Amino acid sequence: MARPNKTCAVCESGIRIVDFKDERLLTRFLTERGKILPSRLSGTCARHQRQLSRAIKRAREIALLPYIKGFAG
Amino acid sequence: MSRMYEAVYILDSTLEEDAITEKLNKHHELVPQASGEPIALDMWGKRTMAYPIANKETGFYVIAKFEATPEMLPEFERALKLDEGVLRHLIVLDEGAVMSTAPSDRDGEDD
Repeated sequence: MARPNKTCAVCESGIRIVDFKDERLLTRFLTERGKILPSRLSGTCARHQRQLSRAIKRAREIALLPYIKGFAG
Repeated sequence: MSRMYEAVYILDSTLEEDAITEKLNKHHELVPQASGEPIALDMWGKRTMAYPIANKETGFYVIAKFEATPEMLPEFERALKLDEGVLRHLIVLDEGAVMSTAPSDRDGEDD
């Protein structure tokens, strides 16, 4: 069993429901490439990880977040 | 049974603000509110987008929360799709999520 690492950053900041419009918060859970950070790396609890991934996908749809960052497409 | 929905609209940034308000109010006639008053429009204004939509780099973002019954939505969405001024729209159930950052200090995309 991996040693219990950092606490869930979303719970820390006292957020109950992740808002998909809040790209400042969402970018903290993306890699430089713009991919979603796995919860084993970001230490996010399962409940917030599900909300985060749904919010990130919605934010990408309304162009708040890129699908691929730094891609001269 | 009507429920609260949250909508995000990305409009063509070449349009004037009042033209945008007028256009959205016209579309919102398709989702009449029980309270009767017009739906509040949270204007985020012009923002550079994370990726170009319809070959445009910037879009005018507007957020609206309204109440609607499921039967009203297909007609409403059709009107939005037909309107070229609306580059993209997203309508979701309102989860009552609160922004952790104050909405006022939202700047353009800075990545």
